[in-house]
Amino acid sequence: MAQMPALIPKEVEIQRLKKVWLIVIAMGSTAASVEVDNFVDGSLHQTSIRDSAFTPAHWWLYSHFITLPLGWGAAAIYDRKIPVLRGPNNSMNTGLKMTILGYLATMFTIGVNEMWHFWFVEEIFAVPNHWMFNMGVVVAFMGALAYVVRVYARLVELGAETPGENPYVAEMYKMALEGKLYSRSIP
Amino acid sequence: MTLPKGFGSGGAGGSSSADVERMIGRRVENMTGIITISFIAAWLSTFGGTAAGYFYYPWAYPTPSGHFAFIVLTIIEAIGYIFCVKVMEEGSNKNSNGIVAATVGAVTVGTLFITLFVGK
Repeated sequence: MAQMPALIPKEVEIQRLKKVWLIVIAMGSTAASVEVDNFVDGSLHQTSIRDSAFTPAHWWLYSHFITLPLGWGAAAIYDRKIPVLRGPNNSMNTGLKMTILGYLATMFTIGVNEMWHFWFVEEIFAVPNHWMFNMGVVVAFMGALAYVVRVYARLVELGAETPGENPYVAEMYKMALEGKLYSRSIP
Repeated sequence: MTLPKGFGSGGAGGSSSADVERMIGRRVENMTGIITISFIAAWLSTFGGTAAGYFYYPWAYPTPSGHFAFIVLTIIEAIGYIFCVKVMEEGSNKNSNGIVAATVGAVTVGTLFITLFVGK
């Protein structure tokens, strides 16, 4: 199995990757809680008593679009200590770049969205004021997924995590670590 | 192995275990205390957020709605807390199941108490 060269001792790298993991789990838990709350509570009474998007049940959701850019920013600051996660030309990891830019887009679009609602009430995600928000969320999710999978694959590579026991999943991990998951012709 | 500047023996040899420990700092399996305190702080902030809603804006955020949100948020925060502790301690000989059980139990009791007796 092709191993990335170790630039820091293995034990140090495992501990640092797990600290990134800790940041990601904490952020995921916070984000999941406010998202679920928005759907079960915010949507419920925005529909039932037709209140505005600025009422308290929605504060939770908006906190999420401040927490995520700042939280991923914290991950990016710590990420500099893990050489294997660096991006092209020793820049920030590409997944992190996408995530932070994506969530920044959503953060600013929230303001645009609320101004739009002064003259159009319905929350339809296909209308233009939501376009940057929708694209931001998708870009952020793709970047976050790429980053988290990279951290996990490296932990598997270092022997700190056990890959899936399902033989098909195990084969996917093996191919990913060999750089052959998407292309057998480009190693 | 070449270590970053300030570590190692200046070219006279490899890295010692003391260097490795110094590079690691506080190990993740020893972070259960700070993770627990952070979880309790998040839970109290959640209570503060919902309470601000139903005490200051009761016309927009009825108390049952706030309690519902508080319970949902608490459950998901607790799942995150358990994940954090279990993932950080896997592969080590540390075991903080007692602390996790006591914390989650106390938060459960606190959540029930708040939803039954606090509100407008």
